[in-house]
Amino acid sequence: MLHAVNLTKKYQESLALDNLNLSIEPGDIYCLLGANGAGKSTTINLFLNFIAPTSGKAIINQIEVSKDPQAIKKLIAYIPENLVLYNELSGLENLEYFVGLAGMKYHEDEMVNFLQEAGLQDEAFKKRVKTYSKGMRQKIGVAMAIAKKARVLLLDEPTSGLDPKASNEFSELLLRLSQQNVATLMATHDLFRAKETGTDIGIMKSGKLVEQLSTEQINHSDLEKLYLNHMNS
Amino acid sequence: MIFHVAKKEIKETFRSGQFKWMFGIVAILSLVAVFISHKHWQEKNLQREQAQEHARELWLAQGATNPHNAAHYGTYAFKPQFPLSLIDPGVEKYTGISIFLEAHSRNEADNVAAADQTGLSRFGDLTPDFILLFIVPLMIIALGHHSITREKEQGTIRIIKTQGISNGQLVWGKWFGNYIPIALLTTFLFILAAVFIQDFNWKFLATMWLVYLVYFAIINAITLVVSSLTSNSGISLVMLLTIWIVSCLAVPKIASSYTNEKYPYPTRQEFESAVAEDKKQGIDGHDPWSEASKKLEQETLKTYQVNRLEDLPFNFDAFRMQKGEEHDAEIYFKHNEKLREVYQAQSKVYKNLAFLSPFLPTRFMSMSLANTDYATHWNFADLAEKHRVEMQRILNDNFAENSKLGEWNYRADASLLSEVPDFQFDAPKFNEVMSSNQSNLLILTVWLLFSFGLLFFVSTRI
Repeated sequence: MLHAVNLTKKYQESLALDNLNLSIEPGDIYCLLGANGAGKSTTINLFLNFIAPTSGKAIINQIEVSKDPQAIKKLIAYIPENLVLYNELSGLENLEYFVGLAGMKYHEDEMVNFLQEAGLQDEAFKKRVKTYSKGMRQKIGVAMAIAKKARVLLLDEPTSGLDPKASNEFSELLLRLSQQNVATLMATHDLFRAKETGTDIGIMKSGKLVEQLSTEQINHSDLEKLYLNHMNS
Repeated sequence: MIFHVAKKEIKETFRSGQFKWMFGIVAILSLVAVFISHKHWQEKNLQREQAQEHARELWLAQGATNPHNAAHYGTYAFKPQFPLSLIDPGVEKYTGISIFLEAHSRNEADNVAAADQTGLSRFGDLTPDFILLFIVPLMIIALGHHSITREKEQGTIRIIKTQGISNGQLVWGKWFGNYIPIALLTTFLFILAAVFIQDFNWKFLATMWLVYLVYFAIINAITLVVSSLTSNSGISLVMLLTIWIVSCLAVPKIASSYTNEKYPYPTRQEFESAVAEDKKQGIDGHDPWSEASKKLEQETLKTYQVNRLEDLPFNFDAFRMQKGEEHDAEIYFKHNEKLREVYQAQSKVYKNLAFLSPFLPTRFMSMSLANTDYATHWNFADLAEKHRVEMQRILNDNFAENSKLGEWNYRADASLLSEVPDFQFDAPKFNEVMSSNQSNLLILTVWLLFSFGLLFFVSTRI
């Protein structure tokens, strides 16, 4: 579903991403771990076509991202660390707007279903977004992905700054989407959440993918040790 | 997709406190401007109508009188106040509204409103055209300067870009989103003015409304171009305010100074001494001893094959008076034509400089459609002069045909005064106005295409 083939990004002399190879299949939740500047966000940005690769390919559903970005946009949903919405509009109106930008139109009842599916409380639907917490905003992002029927989720530290309850709810949503065969690539600093939610983990350092493993192969404390070993080496 | 974006922009705009305040203030200003302008318009119109009636009454009240005395007594030609001057008073304040019509002299227009005002008039009046030309563009800037920059600053542009909408659709959606509230406000102002104005021509009003909508479309496009090119709302605002200052304040003043420098008008003193000098070269109706009068005398005697002026079938004094009038009229025509040439040269330069700012062609078209521009004033002055010449002819002919040489105590019947028609000045036809504004229309169209082209180009670079 989602493949990086020798994917490399250089900024002048600095190598932001070095020959990345990874594969994510439908239903997988791939968590990219690493310190700031390790290349996690660069990887996400390459799959979003926000930046062009220096060499290699980012492929989604057998389409090279940089060759046909419009086709890719139909397949993906993106949730950044801070999902900023339009404060003067309600959650429902924000959802309607962004889904409309993808060329999709739904009846209000369907929109309400998407928001309910994303776990947003009913009483919040018609409130202006300026009253929303960060967790509620992230749920709008998930509702957008559901409404868009996205087959790939690209998440850039989506749980950063969320309280444990909100973070847990977000993970549950990802698991539910995974059961619907959505492939997820998530950049995160949260080792616990990565182990709990992810199917696969990749550890990045200085633009390189230095470790790849299945979450079934490792427990929480070993993952932490492995991560720290890589960071300290 | 474009209207999906526009709909959201309008919804957001109408909900924002900033817009509510701005819209409220501009709507109140519009209301006040239309109300005050209408009040002034009514007062001035009444004064003008009363003055015109009074002048006619005084003219007719002379009763049986010597025609040449009546010619010196004179009367007034009044420029009517056109309905759309309520929206755009143009140069009315500086040109004067009445011309005294008398024997031997072509007078300048009088009753100049600006001359009756104090130094405070330098601050200008609150009129609908001020709101349309200066305030609404500021409102467009206030609404649109962060249209794109805010998406970049907040990061929403990243989400938008992953949805599938093209940059072009997004930018044009935002263009409509900013434009529709402004178009509604403009329409409100014109409807308000139409309610107050009576007896106006729809074609003129609708065209003026369209001209302003085009002006705002251009400013809206430029606003979005700047918002697209900058990454910071503050920088965008400063750049747009600079553009506003240059195009609405600096360029018109530079254009005015430049044209006055390049094609200066003669001073009143220069003009009057040149006229006096030329007048000396011809017949003076009141001077029978001048060389020109003697020559006319000889030629007339020869033409009528008589030896004495007393034997002519008309009063030669009145005949000489008419010849003097005709000579004076030619002199005035010649010198006024020189002034007109300067005016036309200035207008040409002005029109060429209109390429520098969409403000200028809009200003010119607005004044022209309101019949408050210089061209209308020139037409009025020319027509008043034609009326004066005709009035003198009627009076002198009566004098010549009904009296004898030296019969200065001749009194014409009071009915003669009624033979001099009332002065009538009608607004130019719609087609004439549009035809004289072809270059302004062309420049506005070029500005519209240029700003849209620029917006289309920058939309690919967000």
